[in-house]
Amino acid sequence: MVTAGVDPAVTAAPNSATIAAISTPMGRGGIGLIRLSGPAALTISGGLLQHVPDWQPRHAHRVIVVGEDGAKLDDGLATWFQAPHSYTGEDVVELSLHGSPVVLRAVLERATSLGARLAEPGEFTLRAFIHGHLDLPQAEAVRDLIDATTLYQARVAAQQVSGSVSRRLAPLKAELIELISLLEAGIDFADNDIDVAPDAELLRRLSLIEPQLVRLIDSFAYGKLVHDGLTLAILGRPNVGKSSLFNRLVGQDRAIVTDIPGTTRDVVSETASIAGIPVKFVDTAGVRESVDVVETLGIERSWQALADADLTLVVLDLSQPLEPGDHQLIERAQQAGRMLIVANKADLAPRAQILSEAIPVSALTGEGVEALREAILATLNPDGIPSQEDGFITSMRHERLLRDSWDFLDRARLTIEDRIPHEMLLLDLYSALRPIDAITGATTADDILNNIFGKFCIGK
Amino acid sequence: MMNTSSRKYDVLVIGAGHAGCEAARACARLGLRTGLITMNIDLIAQMSCNPAIGGIAKGHLVREIDALGGVMGELTDEVGIQFRLLNTSRGPAVWSPRAQCDKKQYRVRMKERMEQEPNLRILQAEVASLLVENGEMRGVGLADGRTVTAASVVVTTGTFLNGLAHVGETKYQCGRNGEAPSNLLGHALRGLGLEWTRLKTGTPPRLDGRSIDWSVFEKQHGDVEPTPFSFMTDRIEREQVCCYVAYTNQATHAVVRDSMSRSPLYSGQIEGIGPRYCPSIEDKIVKFPDKSRHQLFLEPEGLDTYEIYVNGLSTSMPVDVQERVLASIPGLEQAEMIRPGYAIEYDAIDPRQLTHGLQVRRIRGLFLAGQINGTSGYEEAGCQGLMAGLNAACHAGQRDPFELARTDGYTGILIDDLISKGADEPYRMFTSRAEYRLHLRIDNADARLTPLGERMGLVSPDRSARFQVKEEQKTRLRQGLLSRRMDATLRRPEVRLSVDLATEVLGAAPVRGVIDTVETEIKYAGYLDQQDRHVQRLRDSERRPLPDNLVFASIPGLSREVAERLARVRPSTLGQAGRIPGVTPAAVAILDIYLSSHAE
Repeated sequence: MVTAGVDPAVTAAPNSATIAAISTPMGRGGIGLIRLSGPAALTISGGLLQHVPDWQPRHAHRVIVVGEDGAKLDDGLATWFQAPHSYTGEDVVELSLHGSPVVLRAVLERATSLGARLAEPGEFTLRAFIHGHLDLPQAEAVRDLIDATTLYQARVAAQQVSGSVSRRLAPLKAELIELISLLEAGIDFADNDIDVAPDAELLRRLSLIEPQLVRLIDSFAYGKLVHDGLTLAILGRPNVGKSSLFNRLVGQDRAIVTDIPGTTRDVVSETASIAGIPVKFVDTAGVRESVDVVETLGIERSWQALADADLTLVVLDLSQPLEPGDHQLIERAQQAGRMLIVANKADLAPRAQILSEAIPVSALTGEGVEALREAILATLNPDGIPSQEDGFITSMRHERLLRDSWDFLDRARLTIEDRIPHEMLLLDLYSALRPIDAITGATTADDILNNIFGKFCIGK
Repeated sequence: MMNTSSRKYDVLVIGAGHAGCEAARACARLGLRTGLITMNIDLIAQMSCNPAIGGIAKGHLVREIDALGGVMGELTDEVGIQFRLLNTSRGPAVWSPRAQCDKKQYRVRMKERMEQEPNLRILQAEVASLLVENGEMRGVGLADGRTVTAASVVVTTGTFLNGLAHVGETKYQCGRNGEAPSNLLGHALRGLGLEWTRLKTGTPPRLDGRSIDWSVFEKQHGDVEPTPFSFMTDRIEREQVCCYVAYTNQATHAVVRDSMSRSPLYSGQIEGIGPRYCPSIEDKIVKFPDKSRHQLFLEPEGLDTYEIYVNGLSTSMPVDVQERVLASIPGLEQAEMIRPGYAIEYDAIDPRQLTHGLQVRRIRGLFLAGQINGTSGYEEAGCQGLMAGLNAACHAGQRDPFELARTDGYTGILIDDLISKGADEPYRMFTSRAEYRLHLRIDNADARLTPLGERMGLVSPDRSARFQVKEEQKTRLRQGLLSRRMDATLRRPEVRLSVDLATEVLGAAPVRGVIDTVETEIKYAGYLDQQDRHVQRLRDSERRPLPDNLVFASIPGLSREVAERLARVRPSTLGQAGRIPGVTPAAVAILDIYLSSHAE
């Protein structure tokens, strides 16, 4: 049974209810938006206002919002989106007010006393989804859009809201349905003069579909980076300039920086964006043999950070000769996974023997930091950024489904090569279609028949 | 009762076509006093369109009718004049038998069989009114003033309800090929407050075989070893006739194109929706302008007639255009047309008002089957007739309804599709409608359905005995082959299970069908298992019943539109709900959550 991921909490109230919520983040902000959706959106809004405007769909009306006693709470703009031409597909009224949390809350409470119900998280989107205004990946992307922490993430999520995953899947899904229709027509209309494609033709069609699917699956490596971001640990002996580098990369004075070795006794982290990918930089305590209990604890945490990181920067001090500790650290980071060696203090007279793979950087002057960012990006995503038109998937659920689909396409190839009858080959092909359906919406037997009737002249 | 001419029945069947005959015979065999009302007793089970039974997916339906104890398969085996097993280049799941039949013999023999049923009375009469009290069927009033009462009534009116035939600009009211329409019954049914739709179907011209130059056409022979429809038939020994393959050409297409304004299909005269799988020649030429020729089949309508059915040339063009179309085809230049083709519009109900037992939800005891439910085809009608009959009998005998699931057979799929999705065009069965196609084969229709037929009491002792022997042989043959480690060998596509080997394993000659089933189930075990896993998932969701009194509009989170669609169909399970067009996966999830949280 196909079931969409619907939050049970969201379904706990009648759909006939009109829901209301403050749709801008709480706290500071010049404008606060209250959104009402449902059959009573207009009536309830009317009760909030001093004068009910002569509602025109999609027109902003100047309004004064009043409390129960008729006293003015705020003024602003009200816009009515008439069903079904709204985000949710229902009557929607949006009140743009002056963003004071106290005012917004008061207006919302007034709305609930007039019959609205507070919207559950994601309920506007759920309603849009139920009314067919969003497909499943779009609805999922709305959640991502709300959760986006970098602009680039937001843009990717916004693209998916406008259906980019479904759009990206559409051509390959169409080709798969085409292949299925061809085989179905051959079976159901065998007494018509329909040419049945030879095996070579079937294999050729499969070979057109598979690479598209694989490209999308591969794009997940990058999509996952964009979606989840990654963790980058900065490791080094004490006082090689880890915290300065951390601040350079993060772009603000976040960590405590002194010349006294061992200042960073705990793990400090901050997220910054590299080419739109959210990177959580983790600054760690300098690693050395220590007798200080507190410092030892900090060093323990540094090793933990190394283990947790997607990528490690091992920082060396160019102005000091390399020590055995540096080499041990490099070795340990290498064992842990991906790493880059950074030779800091490139602005000072070099005294260390420069390792060929080290990236020279001056955290103090900023020299080499840009090259370091590029090196980080190149390490994480050797294939480069997929072009915008190609699109890429960012959801693990999508990736898993597409892999399932691919498995069955692979099986279909073997089935053709084994010259197994077509109705069994179709079992593989439907099994490959079903996961794609789970992303873009179901394909019914009638869809296949419609396709057949459109393509073939059927009928005795 | 003051009307002295009133008669009492348990079940009344109105209409004696392919649905009506199955329904009436089933009820009679179950021991119920059954009345079969027809407007013309000489045209019982008339094959109104093509002279063939079966075909892909339709052959499956006939096997299912037979397995349950119906009549269509046995009769086809008796009167078939050319048998072909279709789709043999694919696998066994989509093999399907088809037979050209002697039309006259089919109806004559069906009438004989009906007359021989002890509990069945045939009445030639026109039904004028339906007697309904408090949403319960009581009987019917006849046009001659008589009243006939019954606990259950099965209506199988085919294209007779407000039938309107079109030949070019000419149109006339009729039922079937010039027979009178049943307008009184049409009116009475309209009065029940059901929702109706208007459908259309068509039929090609019939030619005089003596005026055809047969030498120019490619012959299509029957199979050397004919495949019977009925599990009760051992062998078909009859000599078989030939069909012939013809093609239209550019000249034909020019005639049709030039006369398009005179086609009632394209002039706007016809409002009903026709089947896309059986398009008129006008449609074929308009919709596929690049196709240089269209295939036609010349099929004899019987052994003692010269009438030839031109399969593929369905049309509602004026007679003079039909004549010119025929004359444009080499070999048919001199062909004489005995009857012109015509299109017919008729009333059908919206089948979403029915239960899985084909009972009208709003009127207890009223059952509908066949074209009135929006289907087309003898086989589709037959299986519905059987199901409606069995359920009418259950209703009259106060037994639980008899329903089939999609996993039981094509019959179950047909009914579930109809009542879940309605019929936008005349509904025909296709194998691609079956999610579990690999299991729903002609060779195992008996294993799937005969035990159910036995439970209903429709299966004769003969059939039961045969079935037992076959099942016992299947088990022994399968075990014997596995213990000889033959399964790996049999999985090779080119290896077939020979009769000799089967005989050796069984120590006796295998009965018909044993080898097919055992071989298929061993050879394709991997695929069958793969499908089994899907079947299991479907069965699980089919096991989630939706309560009868569920108020969809009050279910939290369901949009009004979805709630309305659900309320219209009133799905009986969560699985069925998901098959209703417009019911989104999210809505099913919401229903699922709702059911779980209200389980107590």
